[in-house]
Amino acid sequence: MSNTTLNETERTDEPQTPRTTTVGESEETIRPSWRQYDFEGDPKISVSGLNVHYGDDHALKDIGMEIPEESVTALIGPSGCGKSTFLRCLNRMNDRIRAAEIDGNVSYDGENIYRDGVNLVELRKRVGMVFQAPNPFPKSIRENVSYGPRKHGDIRTGFFDRLTGRDDRQQRDRIVEESLRKAALWDEVKDRLDENALSLSGGQQQRLCIARCLAVDPDVILMDEPASALDPIATAKIEDLIEQLAEEYTVVVVTHNMQQAARISDQTAVFLTGGELVEYGDTDRIFENPNSDRVEDYITGKFG
Amino acid sequence: MSDEYASTLVTDETTLGERVASTVIGIGLLVFMLSVLAVARVVTEEASVLGIGLYDFLAVGLLTMGLGVGVVGVGSALGAFDTTPDQTPGTVTAGVFGAIAAAAVWLATLQLGVLGPLGGFPVGLLAGAVTFVGLGLLSEDIGSTLPAVVVAVAVSGAVLTNLLTPAWLWDPEWLSAAFSGSMTIPTLTAAAALLTAWAGAKAYGGYGSEGRQAGAYLLVALNALGMLAVLLAVILFIVTKGIGPAFEGFSLYPFDWPFVLNGYSFRPDVVNGVFPAIVGTLYLVVGATVTGVPVAVAAAVFLTEYAEQGPFVGAVEIATNGLWSTPSVVYGLFGYAFLVPRLGGTTSLLSGILVLGFMLMPLCLITSREAIKSVPDEYRDASAALGVSQWETIKSVVVPAAMPGIVTGVILGVGRIAGETAPILLVMSGGLRDDAPNVLGSFEFTSAPPFVANDALLQSAPALPYQLYATITSGVSADNAVEYGWGTAFVLLVVVLSFYAVGIATRMYFRRRLNYE
Repeated sequence: MSNTTLNETERTDEPQTPRTTTVGESEETIRPSWRQYDFEGDPKISVSGLNVHYGDDHALKDIGMEIPEESVTALIGPSGCGKSTFLRCLNRMNDRIRAAEIDGNVSYDGENIYRDGVNLVELRKRVGMVFQAPNPFPKSIRENVSYGPRKHGDIRTGFFDRLTGRDDRQQRDRIVEESLRKAALWDEVKDRLDENALSLSGGQQQRLCIARCLAVDPDVILMDEPASALDPIATAKIEDLIEQLAEEYTVVVVTHNMQQAARISDQTAVFLTGGELVEYGDTDRIFENPNSDRVEDYITGKFG
Repeated sequence: MSDEYASTLVTDETTLGERVASTVIGIGLLVFMLSVLAVARVVTEEASVLGIGLYDFLAVGLLTMGLGVGVVGVGSALGAFDTTPDQTPGTVTAGVFGAIAAAAVWLATLQLGVLGPLGGFPVGLLAGAVTFVGLGLLSEDIGSTLPAVVVAVAVSGAVLTNLLTPAWLWDPEWLSAAFSGSMTIPTLTAAAALLTAWAGAKAYGGYGSEGRQAGAYLLVALNALGMLAVLLAVILFIVTKGIGPAFEGFSLYPFDWPFVLNGYSFRPDVVNGVFPAIVGTLYLVVGATVTGVPVAVAAAVFLTEYAEQGPFVGAVEIATNGLWSTPSVVYGLFGYAFLVPRLGGTTSLLSGILVLGFMLMPLCLITSREAIKSVPDEYRDASAALGVSQWETIKSVVVPAAMPGIVTGVILGVGRIAGETAPILLVMSGGLRDDAPNVLGSFEFTSAPPFVANDALLQSAPALPYQLYATITSGVSADNAVEYGWGTAFVLLVVVLSFYAVGIATRMYFRRRLNYE
């Protein structure tokens, strides 16, 4: 873990008041307890009062949620319910969308990442992201994995570093191997690390993207429908991988595949149309005995 | 159920109709190409093919085509061939044949001298309208072949019955132009052959949507071939004219190539060459590329990656498009009036480099912007999600991915400026000379700012395009100006194509780095 602090300004402990009011015009009353998930230990990420607007569109309405560490949290819901928007709030990727207005509190290890003075480089190093479609750079496999550490100055392989004998190729190769092993890709690509990443299959590309994300040593990995562009076999590999990663990392995964959420996640948050978090809790409970009728309808396929 | 389908799903054999139609297309292409060559005067009316005169051969070919198309058209209408014609030939077909009929009738009244020059016009229009409506009433197979047959038979008949001979001349009083038979015949046979071959292609596809597809394929493919033919014609023409003078006194061992390695010495006993002009052109193009391309690429990066779409970006876009369409002589005038007085007061290589650099900028900017825009946003997202700053992302991901497109822009731009004459005429205009500009060897340190001086940059230098223009128009070297000019043109062509080759090799290198080839 790097010793740079995430929050450059002085740390103040803001009181985090969980919102318990009912939001939206839903017919049934959402009891606050349905959206609270009790777990032991401190939350890795805690969100409260998060609202996102895209222009006039109120994409997320007063979201409050606490995510435990070293576990898999699934975000499910129909298209356009705001689950991807929520995910992109967690590492401030929504900042890149100019129309997005975000207010509320998102805390990572107790620090609000939306206050002034947050170092985005440091935040995104710690909260990595994997996208829906595999997006490796048109570079070699090795360059893809070592891209992050190289750009952050963690490994030096440049011309002048070689000239002055400061280059750490062993270090780079170690990071590449370790990341690819963690992403369960090493055995498939160890003999062709210098080949272009685009020559890999879709599933391999996605695991390469996961390895690229792991190479910068994150705490949290956000995954936005990581298997939706893949065939069933590649999907199964990604699912196995997610379960393994949860031993070491906090994984938040958006999926529209409910079986997938049931298989891989420890806790599940259900977003429904209108940008509301309707229910959040232990995955088994959500799928077997949801409190909300709307969630039950959605899970059983009556609504979607 | 199967009754609903008029045509069979699978046919293994080529039918008689298809064979006739493909023969028509083959003859049509031959007649068309020979006609074009005759129009271009590459072959003349004295030439003979298979023992008969060229024009008679064209007419016989056209007549054969006309009969063939007639057979497949009428055969289809009588049900002899398995075809799927539409109800009508379509408005475009009817319109084209209507226009042809109108023109033919009008020209015929002029030839016969009846009704006067304007009186025949309404008659022609009427004939066209009748043809248009009449064709609309026919089914597609007859409607699109019959008029082609009429055109083919009429043209070939006029030639074979000696109505139209190479000696034929039509010199209307009310027009300054005169039409000679030796030009009119191949023009008509070319047009008729194309039309008939198109009808043949339609018949080959069995009319209907497949027939239209076959007809359109023939026409667009011919256009692509025509493009290639023009390029080959230009290159071959210049090579045949220029290769003689350019290789005068050439020997492989001991190696000597006087035209390329000599300067212009104004002496009758040695071969005068273009070496100084080649060197000047190289300095000019390399200098302009080094000046213009980085500015253009940097501006493209700023406009695409950093600036938000707004009035400023809009203004820059308008300015770039305006700069791109500014005539080169205007650039030259600007250089002459603005740069030359500020850069030593004489026409100079440096002014030439700057003016051509300015000309290169807009095209490189436009193509670089397009290339950078086409880099998928996924790459930028992936990089941002790793915490990498925007500039690092641009440097290591966006620009490398856009590189092939950027290089394409540079290739096009260099192609334009390498042969540019008008601005050089005004700002650089070096005359014929014996010694090449020595830019690299003329750098000198001085005691006053800017501490570095380069005489060669501030002197006029020769360049191939301007030298070509100067020798051809002014006849500086009275004895062999034309040969010298062709040789210069040949060398210029080779130099420009070499730049092109270098550009394409560079682009292949960058593409290979991006793809898994």
